[in-house]
Amino acid sequence: MNYIILIFFIFIIYSLGSALYYMMYDGGKSKRMVKALTLRVGLSIALFLVILFSFWMGWIKPTGVA
Amino acid sequence: MQSREDYFVPDGSYWPILGSIGMTALLGGFASSMHGNAVGTIAMILGFGIIIFMVFGWIGQVINESESGTYNLQVDKSFRMGMGWFIFSEVMFFAAFFGALYYARQLSVPWLGGAGNNLYTGEVLWPEFKSVWPLIQMPDSSNFTVPKGIIEAWQIPAINTLTLLTSGATLTYAHWSLMNKNRAGLIGGLIATIVLGVIFLGLQIFEYMEAYQHLDLKLTSGIYGSTFFMLTGFHGLHVTLGTIMLIVILMRAIRGHFKKDRHFGFEAVAWYWHFVDVVWLGLFIVVYWL
Repeated sequence: MNYIILIFFIFIIYSLGSALYYMMYDGGKSKRMVKALTLRVGLSIALFLVILFSFWMGWIKPTGVA
Repeated sequence: MQSREDYFVPDGSYWPILGSIGMTALLGGFASSMHGNAVGTIAMILGFGIIIFMVFGWIGQVINESESGTYNLQVDKSFRMGMGWFIFSEVMFFAAFFGALYYARQLSVPWLGGAGNNLYTGEVLWPEFKSVWPLIQMPDSSNFTVPKGIIEAWQIPAINTLTLLTSGATLTYAHWSLMNKNRAGLIGGLIATIVLGVIFLGLQIFEYMEAYQHLDLKLTSGIYGSTFFMLTGFHGLHVTLGTIMLIVILMRAIRGHFKKDRHFGFEAVAWYWHFVDVVWLGLFIVVYWL
């Protein structure tokens, strides 16, 4: 399960990074940055739902005092 | 694309020297204040005030120059490069704290428990110590505040994650509105984002009060308390800064600043907010789950 979370996170970082690249080089004249950020938000919400579902299914447990 | 000869050279400015005076007063005053010097405390507060005055004054001047059409493409490019380096420093800043957490959790604490080739470290120093995370039972707790528990992931942290993720969505709505020339949508999206940012900060303060008053989880609670408060605390500071910047962007949007193809100020602040949002998501997973 941790790997699935990790994969999601890598894609989130990638979309955030590509938004940064478009901000640096498009000069505010294209919609590529806002599209990349929209993907970033979508993936983040999906990851939160995955964590929620995994917890509900009992696949993962939060950090707790042993 | 304009040539490099067209580069905009600003007039002489008193803001840099004022900022230097403010920083000297702030840091010198802080150092004196640590030695119990009352004048130092006054200098520190004064220095902080000068810096705030400088930041708003200088940026205000830059905004006016930008709106009056003084800047050309070269200036726009230099703003973007400056933002790039600022982001690089921010990434390194959080990497250091995440790195500290990784080192403590995966390496140094297990070593104290005898992991790796440190069997005798455990046996000789603290034979009773068992390496677990969160580290509530320290090897020697005489100099620390021993916490009764930790903040549970499914309480305020989960609500705060939802709050920040929603703020990311409202900000994206504002961004799309700007690109589609919808001024009302831009302003509405920004207001919603600011409100969500303030809610996040309020809940974070509540969580800290809970930790300090009921759980005895403090900055002095050993390596767990230190890393927990340093990571979440500095993140909270970034949300505070992001909220202030969003308020400035909202004021500018209300005044009619930013056009579909000319809105670097908005882009920079929006990206910063998304970055802070992703840092929280990383914190939520690493600190509260893994």
